[in-house]
Amino acid sequence: MSGSFNRLLEAVVRIDVREVTFEAGARRFVAGVGSGVILSKDGLVLTNAHVASPNAVEISITLPSLERVGARLVGWDHWTDLALIRLDLDEVKRRGLAIQPATFGDSEALYVGETVLAVGTPFGLTRTVTRGIISNNRRFEDTDSIRGYETGTFNTWLQTDAAINPGNSGGPLVTEDGRVVGINSRGYVGADNLGFAIPANIARRVVDELVRHGTITRSYIGLVPGTLQDLEHFYALALNTGVLIKDVDPGSPAARAGLRSGDILLAINGQKVDGRFPEQLPPIQNMIASLPVGSIVRLSIKRGGQTLEVPAVTEKLASRMGEEWAFERWGLSVRKVSRAFARENQLDDDTGVVVIGVQPGFPGAVAGLAAGDIITKIDQQPLAELETLKRIYQRFEAKPVSLLLLTMRDRRVSLYVLKP
Amino acid sequence: MSGFFRQHRLRAATLALVALLPLRAADLPDLFAERVRSCVTVEFLIETELERQPVTVLGTCIDAHGTIILPASAIGARVAVRQLKDIKVYRPNSSAAFTAEYLGQDVLTGWHFLPVEEKFRPELVPVTAWVRAGTPEPRLADEVWGIGLRGKDEDFRPYFLLSRVGLIQPMPQVTAVAASELGGPGLPVFNRDGALVGLTLNSFGQNFLMFSRRERGVPVVLVNVEESSVFLLANEVLPYLGRIPRNRSGRPLPWLGAFGLEPVDPEVARFLQLENQSALVVSEVLENSPAEKAGLKGHDIIVALDGRPLPRFKPDQVTGTYLEREIDRRQPGETLPLTVLRDNQRVDLKVTLGDEPKIIREAERKYFERLGFTVREFLYGDGIARRVKLANQAGVIVDFVKPNSPAAVGDLVADDWIREIDGREIKTYAEAVEALTAIEADPNRAEFVLLTSRGTETAVRRVRLK
Repeated sequence: MSGSFNRLLEAVVRIDVREVTFEAGARRFVAGVGSGVILSKDGLVLTNAHVASPNAVEISITLPSLERVGARLVGWDHWTDLALIRLDLDEVKRRGLAIQPATFGDSEALYVGETVLAVGTPFGLTRTVTRGIISNNRRFEDTDSIRGYETGTFNTWLQTDAAINPGNSGGPLVTEDGRVVGINSRGYVGADNLGFAIPANIARRVVDELVRHGTITRSYIGLVPGTLQDLEHFYALALNTGVLIKDVDPGSPAARAGLRSGDILLAINGQKVDGRFPEQLPPIQNMIASLPVGSIVRLSIKRGGQTLEVPAVTEKLASRMGEEWAFERWGLSVRKVSRAFARENQLDDDTGVVVIGVQPGFPGAVAGLAAGDIITKIDQQPLAELETLKRIYQRFEAKPVSLLLLTMRDRRVSLYVLKP
Repeated sequence: MSGFFRQHRLRAATLALVALLPLRAADLPDLFAERVRSCVTVEFLIETELERQPVTVLGTCIDAHGTIILPASAIGARVAVRQLKDIKVYRPNSSAAFTAEYLGQDVLTGWHFLPVEEKFRPELVPVTAWVRAGTPEPRLADEVWGIGLRGKDEDFRPYFLLSRVGLIQPMPQVTAVAASELGGPGLPVFNRDGALVGLTLNSFGQNFLMFSRRERGVPVVLVNVEESSVFLLANEVLPYLGRIPRNRSGRPLPWLGAFGLEPVDPEVARFLQLENQSALVVSEVLENSPAEKAGLKGHDIIVALDGRPLPRFKPDQVTGTYLEREIDRRQPGETLPLTVLRDNQRVDLKVTLGDEPKIIREAERKYFERLGFTVREFLYGDGIARRVKLANQAGVIVDFVKPNSPAAVGDLVADDWIREIDGREIKTYAEAVEALTAIEADPNRAEFVLLTSRGTETAVRRVRLK
């Protein structure tokens, strides 16, 4: 192997994460292990969002020298499955540890058949290298969520046959000269060597924004695109143009602008779009997401024989996963109802919290609550924010009294009494 | 004092009778042979697009016209009357088949009514022949018996089943649970003297642990479909035998129009200061329904009916059934006086019940064999299920998709809502049938395109015909 490849090996780290979960009506801690790649001398390490999330309470990094250093989360972006963490630089300096950043390559320049290597710590086995080729450099992959968090909407993937196993997550996919061209993210269970990595060019943009803002802001208009694939004839379209609007989220900017399923999107702000095939959709989605929040976007639409220019105002993109919390004396873990969740479940609005777990024998379970119930009112007051519930819980801890809960489940409304 | 002695003597006389009973047990075979003539086995086919599904159920003859009643579960709610084919009725111990006509289902009891052909009628004895005036209601531990019927391969041989009453409770109809199976589901139950005391319902599920080579102690619920240990007392049966439907659809169907009436548990009732009674939370009030017109609102808590507090049943769910029955025993146009709790205030409402909008078994349907699917008209209930306002209700529903057909390959599934065909908006069932008939008749058609909704998702689906 080349010297540059050996230098790359020095930039790959093992990441141990302890994170809090709110699953069965209690706060519990789970441990996980993944890989990461050092980006800079100031201690930035890139990994997957499914390795290090905001629920991480303790992150420790094992350097190639086998020295362990603490780290903290800088920011995450589950949409691209990327997270940025920073080594405890004081500790690094104090202990005189060396940090070797990796060099990035151009993922757009990769060709199918090019040799690539996956580096990481599969199953905690440090610094493992597997070799393969780029099987597809623009893969559309329709796993749309990891642990409930949306992912893959705005990017295509690099597909490789280099073995990617659990624990490889967050490690780099590199060319033979040791340049990082992707961040390994997932493999298909039960398949032989179907591995997927986030292209480095996308990762770099995400890193830049996470460094600056700690979060990524995207725009949303509520279009669900579909592939046109040889439906052009049916829609009487010129070849190589248009995106089928498969669905429009109810109440979204696109719905308010009057867009409908079956419309064809021809251009966004005058720029033509072509979405005949699945792998063409993520870049178009990303084009919309990259518009400034609250700006007017001109959508050119074909509907039947008509062509229309429809203005829509972008909103800030929000995840369907709201904040999670556990109320341990009630044995109840909950997640805030988000706008996207409300839309998916045909709720009137985002009032309430969803029960995601109950602990048997605790007041929540005794009252009859179960996972999936949406608590919308407490003592007849609407529960708009999770903070409201936290305050009620604090009062309950100080002075326990019975509370009347109103819940929804499959649109059925029930009452429960939460007793001390 | 003399009164005391009389009572005492009476008790002595009862004791003497009890002592004689074992001798009377010899009558049972005779009683059994007579009462078997009220029981029949009914076979029919449910015809679907691709297959004919045979059904075998038990029934009881209720009158001199040879009318048979079958339990509600004998025919599923989605089955249209015209799908019922080849109805055959067999008497016990005989392989001779007789025909019967389907009259419809009664909304209150759920029974299906079928009069058998005339020449079979002399063979049958109405179950009312076993009604004995002054028969006491069965009590705990009383002996009760009934009839089981074997299958066709054994000429529907009748057999004797005997048990004792283990529990009697309102559900909301007064229902007895015997210590063991005492009759085929849908057949009469008798006391020791042969007097009618009830009619069996479907058996309740029983919990078992299943052990197999692979699994150890897996909990399973088993339901005995041949014999039942549950029966309705005669007082819950006899007054309703005259409810023979006026038409095959069972209309009129009294309708309130409130969705999801959820019972409160005793803790919640206490919290709401509703002691010794139950209540029902209204989940949603349906658009343009009698409930909406009367001013009922979602989240109202129904606490009283006709000025009387809702009784408490065990389990809580029975309270919902209780209200449903109170609706079903009325006629459209009649009033249902309800009291609800709304923002801690009691509000009295008078609902004038309506006739329920068309239900699924009444819906128009058409099967397109070459395309491989059936469409049916969009019903009021489809609007509820999909949360679509009346003003926006249009299109048709996919009722069936033939496996491996063009429609199935085009990813159409049952319950998809078709809103456009080939880019043309479909308003009515007739429009959809016209469009699909034209497509099916055109041998040069290579494909057609549908705009469909499934759950909260809408999609353009292409069905290739070539």
